[in-house]
Amino acid sequence: MDQGIIEVVTGAEAAVYIQTHSVIKKRVPKKYRTAELDIKLRKERTKLEAKIQSDARKVGVPTPIIREVNGFDITMERVEGQPVSLVINETIAEQIGEVLCTLHSAGIAHGDPTTRNMIVSNTRIYLIDFGLASYDRSLEARGVDVHVFFQSLEALHENYRALKKAFLAGYGKKCQDVEQVISKVEEIKGRGRYL
Amino acid sequence: MIVLGLEGTAWNLSASLVSDDEVLFEANSAYIPTSGGIHPREAAQHFASNVIGVIGEVLSSTDPRSIEGIAFSQGPGFGPCLRIVGTAARALALKLDVPLVGVNHCIAHIEVERWKTDLLDPMVLYVSGANSQVLSYRQKRYRILGETLDIGIGNCLDKFARSAGLRHPGGPKVERLAQESERYLPMPYVVKGMDFSFSGIATAAQEAMKSASLEDICYSFQETAFSMLVEVCERALSQTDKSDLLLAGGVGANKRLQEMLAIMCSERGARFFAPKTEYLQDNGAMIAYTGLLMLSNGVHTPITDSGANPNFRPDEVEVLWIKG
Repeated sequence: MDQGIIEVVTGAEAAVYIQTHSVIKKRVPKKYRTAELDIKLRKERTKLEAKIQSDARKVGVPTPIIREVNGFDITMERVEGQPVSLVINETIAEQIGEVLCTLHSAGIAHGDPTTRNMIVSNTRIYLIDFGLASYDRSLEARGVDVHVFFQSLEALHENYRALKKAFLAGYGKKCQDVEQVISKVEEIKGRGRYL
Repeated sequence: MIVLGLEGTAWNLSASLVSDDEVLFEANSAYIPTSGGIHPREAAQHFASNVIGVIGEVLSSTDPRSIEGIAFSQGPGFGPCLRIVGTAARALALKLDVPLVGVNHCIAHIEVERWKTDLLDPMVLYVSGANSQVLSYRQKRYRILGETLDIGIGNCLDKFARSAGLRHPGGPKVERLAQESERYLPMPYVVKGMDFSFSGIATAAQEAMKSASLEDICYSFQETAFSMLVEVCERALSQTDKSDLLLAGGVGANKRLQEMLAIMCSERGARFFAPKTEYLQDNGAMIAYTGLLMLSNGVHTPITDSGANPNFRPDEVEVLWIKG
């Protein structure tokens, strides 16, 4: 295993160590909660995240290969490429639509599919960070995913209308109920809850 | 501007007079159940019997002609209670010939704190009997970022406390018993995205009564339920890059909850604010002050729109008093 740490990214519940060929995600202890609960939650979530991420890969959604799950740490392949947030265009948006439809059809919701959590590598779109993912087939969960993706487009990309349209074209190729998902997204947007 | 505010959503009937700068006077009449929890009809009867008294105290503290508006808690809360204060507020506004304004109780908890502290744009954890929400201001509304999927944390505590034979209000008694234990029994920990659920804990705690000590159950109950709240607050701070967390609502008086939030904030370099108990609890000043903000920005409630709104959500209110 290589040792050189290129970058450390810290989120609300984990620190991500990016090395030359691998990425290690460590769920950090939270001092506010009692140790038994802290250990239980971090173990369960680490296991669940690794399982969902590899299940997604099995159904054809590109995700980093999990190399090792050890306690609170997941070691995975480092996918070389560019974050979607920097390179997005209509072709990529359409591809993302297809990828998210594949994930949803397998009964998995990503939970946080922003353009920062996607990597373009050799013309394939990889989804990363399954920390908020769940096994959830509901229209609500799918709508939240699409809404979160749209929000990230609106925040960062000027031509977001064309990108949304391309995404939906890709999503609708295999997900026949795309119209229902669109109206769910409108409903969620009206609540103004998600960021 | 001087505004008279009437609070009466659940247990505390409170009338208060505020100016732009300070609370001028406040009179309270709390409903204390003789047995069991808060009974909406009995609370409303208590309000009906005492509303003239508390208003009278406020009016005799000042020249009624100085009052420029009447604010009242329009919701959320128990319908029968809301109707009593609504009726009293309408009568007062007509009698004094001043504008009437219906206030969202939850927003009032936030605004009174922004008034009393230097907080400009905090993340808010609002925890009371019926409500459990994480809120923050964005684009003219207090947005609900996360909330309970079933019952409020306070109701959950009370429900368990009653089943354990503890008198209302159960929260402080559970808190005291929890201090006697450090033995953690696993309880359902349910966080879904930014939402949380408490009904499973209430059931698990009642079930545990058969085999565990009350102290251990109280401890485990608090640790589980509060950790859920703190986790969602941390995620909300992380997503929005806000750096202040404000606690509001009666359950916020719990010292363990305050401690956990303070630890989380200090680890992230955020500031944590726990208000004084008088503002954590329901009070007339918060209604009067929020009404003052609304009236100052040209908002008033016509009599025809002044009916009780038991499920009044904070994000229904357009926030005109925050610029930007």
